[in-house]
Amino acid sequence: QDTVSWRMQSLWDGGTTPQKFEERFVKRVAELTGGRFKIELFSAGQILPANQMFDAVRGGAFQMMKTFDGYEAGKIPALAFTSTVPFGFPESDQYEAWFYELGGIDLARQAYGQAGLFYIAPTVYGPEPMHSKFPIRKIADWNGKKGRFVGLASTVMGALGVSVVPLPTGEVYSALDKGLIDFADRGDLTANFEAGLAEVAKHIVMPGVHQPTTATSYVANRAAYEKLSAENKAALAVAAREVSAALRQHILVADGKAIEGYKAKGVEIVSLDPADVQQGRVKAREAWVTATKNEALATKVLDSQVAFMKQLGLLA
Amino acid sequence: MPTAFLLYVRGITAVNRLLFRIAAALMFVVVPVMMYEVIARYAFAAPTTWGMELATLLFGPYFLLGGPYLLHLRGHVNLDLARRAMSPGWNRFFELVNQPVIVAFCAILLYYSWPLAVQAWEFKETSFSAWNPPIWPVKFAVPLAVVLMAAQSIAEFLRVLFRDPTAFEPASHDTPETAA
Amino acid sequence: MTPTAILVTMFGGLTLFMLTGLPIAFVLGGLSLLFTVTLWNADAVVILALQIFDTMRSEALLGIPLYILMASILQRSGVIEDLYRAMELWFGRVRGGLAIGTVVICVIMAAMTGVVGAAVTAMGVLALPEMLRRRYDPGLATGTICAAGTLGILIPPSVLTIVYAVTAQISIGKMLIAGIVPGAILAALYIAYILAVSYLKPGKVPAAAVERVPLGAKLRSLRSLVLPALIIVMILGSIFFGVATPTEAAAVGVVGAMIAAALRRRLTIDNLSTAAVETLKATAMILWITIGAKAYVAIFTGLGGADTLMGFIRDLNVHPYMVLAVMMLVLIFLGTVLDEIGIILLTVPVFLPIVRLLGFDEVWFGVLYAITIQMGYISPPFGYTLFYIKGTLPKHLGMDTVYRGIVPFFLLQVLGLLICAAFPGLVTWLPRLMVGG
Ligand code: NA
Ligand code: NA
Repeated sequence: QDTVSWRMQSLWDGGTTPQKFEERFVKRVAELTGGRFKIELFSAGQILPANQMFDAVRGGAFQMMKTFDGYEAGKIPALAFTSTVPFGFPESDQYEAWFYELGGIDLARQAYGQAGLFYIAPTVYGPEPMHSKFPIRKIADWNGKKGRFVGLASTVMGALGVSVVPLPTGEVYSALDKGLIDFADRGDLTANFEAGLAEVAKHIVMPGVHQPTTATSYVANRAAYEKLSAENKAALAVAAREVSAALRQHILVADGKAIEGYKAKGVEIVSLDPADVQQGRVKAREAWVTATKNEALATKVLDSQVAFMKQLGLLA
Repeated sequence: MPTAFLLYVRGITAVNRLLFRIAAALMFVVVPVMMYEVIARYAFAAPTTWGMELATLLFGPYFLLGGPYLLHLRGHVNLDLARRAMSPGWNRFFELVNQPVIVAFCAILLYYSWPLAVQAWEFKETSFSAWNPPIWPVKFAVPLAVVLMAAQSIAEFLRVLFRDPTAFEPASHDTPETAA
Repeated sequence: MTPTAILVTMFGGLTLFMLTGLPIAFVLGGLSLLFTVTLWNADAVVILALQIFDTMRSEALLGIPLYILMASILQRSGVIEDLYRAMELWFGRVRGGLAIGTVVICVIMAAMTGVVGAAVTAMGVLALPEMLRRRYDPGLATGTICAAGTLGILIPPSVLTIVYAVTAQISIGKMLIAGIVPGAILAALYIAYILAVSYLKPGKVPAAAVERVPLGAKLRSLRSLVLPALIIVMILGSIFFGVATPTEAAAVGVVGAMIAAALRRRLTIDNLSTAAVETLKATAMILWITIGAKAYVAIFTGLGGADTLMGFIRDLNVHPYMVLAVMMLVLIFLGTVLDEIGIILLTVPVFLPIVRLLGFDEVWFGVLYAITIQMGYISPPFGYTLFYIKGTLPKHLGMDTVYRGIVPFFLLQVLGLLICAAFPGLVTWLPRLMVGG
């Protein structure tokens, strides 16, 4: 059998924990194929900034990527809901169940299919925090406050009374430090701890309702994917599902350690009342509907998720 | 220079000069927009959803469309060590070789950037921010800029080929306002 | 092709093409295309177009035209002329006073912006004509501006430092603060050098004023400090008090410059339009180069050119300080041709595990890193700031002037690097004090 060599770039910075899981993914694919499927891995920015990978994979510059679907939601509205939904599923298992048990993967495949890409599988994990300079006890507390959010979260938080300030990730630390903003979304608990957010924001809302669960995804150039043997395709699927669980569990443990670190630096960790979140979700839903742009596939994705949320009692 | 070529050189240079001036004036849109954003956010705690994004959206077309006329002004910096030591004949030779390199570079970029712009238009691409403006028009700035750059490069090639005496001079004669 | 061959071809090709006098933007872009098509595959050319899309929407780079516009308006307002005349009155008896003043203004600029092209070009517009008019040696003048203009990488705010901190997963605040003392050391070295040249090599620096200027005239000249000080306060104040991001602060600076020009009755349509034209000329020059540089780093990495260098360092089996030295050499080498963010994304993931293994402090290493990248920025033949400053030079001065002028400053940076390497406490003291831990 011939060996296949692919290039893959991920959205993670080199040397970071999630990137180590991508190294694991690549290694696992090689293992599962007896070394016949080799993927050369690049980290964010090595070839392209993460949010430009989409067209590079379409064009065949590299064969696959680990991406965040939300980057392309401006082109394909359905992708707004396959990456992270503000006030969406509170448990990663619920979100992953939607992908694997309720046809979410097929819908994601249809979305990427329009662009000549093949959606392999998601990596699903838990919440990201909000870092705040003022105590937050309930959603109403952030009324009129200046918050940094991006993507769909910026629309949803805006609808809930936040004065949204769009800032690049690199500016978040300084903007909190100088008081340009009152609270912000950035990365996960550990990454934010390492970046020193405990020094500049003494309150954390965890789970952050703006990003209760997250899915990043493996996406391949469809023509390249179709040339793969059944064995190689299976290896991608298996390795992807393994990494999804492994990274989620790793983050679960790492979050616990990070919280201890934050507390040691005098940072307060707050969880919002589920009833309050439930009310927020009703308002967020209006923003979700707007984000579909009335496009057929996006509406189908949202309806499917809303139906599941109703079943779970998350929406009335 | 044959009249047809002369008209081409003058025409394309005029078009690029006009676009350069329009682009230069964009800064007087960018600055007030950013000031408005700063004041709205700090003094009135009412940041706009569009301020910073509008400023960055204008930035790309700004420097891209400034590029072609800059070629005419000989403002794209080069390593002039060897060229300063060369005879006029060799200088002319390298100029006649280099301009086609620029044209080829632009042609290849056009080939790859045009479909990206068209696809962005087909998807009616927006930025997915809270403001969520269409961003596909901005993407057309790339193919437009490389076409104009190639056209200007051809014009510069013709000026050297037909021994236009001003070809090696920074073009201050027709742009008095840039004669620093 | 082996990665080593790719490395040699890519750098060799660069040297050859540059000598033809093709503008550097097209040397970088054209070679990227050529290598992509011949060594990778034609499909990968799309990367170049995508790099352009990304550059087009960079908020940090938007600071470049804003700072240049500010400088350009100020230059035409007469404010800078007055400022230099005041400096002459006060420091005229100190030889090299204006060059020293320029270093000080550069340090202030460094505290405003973290984007290299912005500070160097702005100072090229502001300070260079004043220094040349007063018969400073052109090499000394350009060297001073190139070296001091890149201090913005070390002195906060700094885009490069933030990217380093994020990639290295260390506190952004600590990393930013750590740059202050080394930045001051470098500035002090530059000033000491300028003084030494002034007194040891007459002819490079105009003779000092012999006459004593009456105190009254000196005090009257202080009025000319009011407007520049006002602008500095507007910019630094808006950053410090959380009124504006560093990029927005640049727009505040433009408004400040316009106010200053208005007070001097020089806010004319003519002046504004000339300033806008000059700004676009400089910005388009820098940004077209940036596009080429970004493409070049992408292709360099994608082809595995980086692997050779990185593998070499990984396999080094020598004294820790030797490893460190080799890393710095590689960084200077890469820094001459690659864009600074590209280098970080390329090297930090490889270097930091080694640095940690050897037991070095990451913040300290980060500062050495920033100094080294500064050196790459000004090191001949390719250092980008050398081209930026050349863009602001009068026609009769060429690249040789810039090259000649930069060498002593490059050596001073080597000295600064050695000082920071030998005394880690200089670097780590302030961040510990201010952030703790
Ligand atoms: Na986030
Ligand atoms: Na700085």
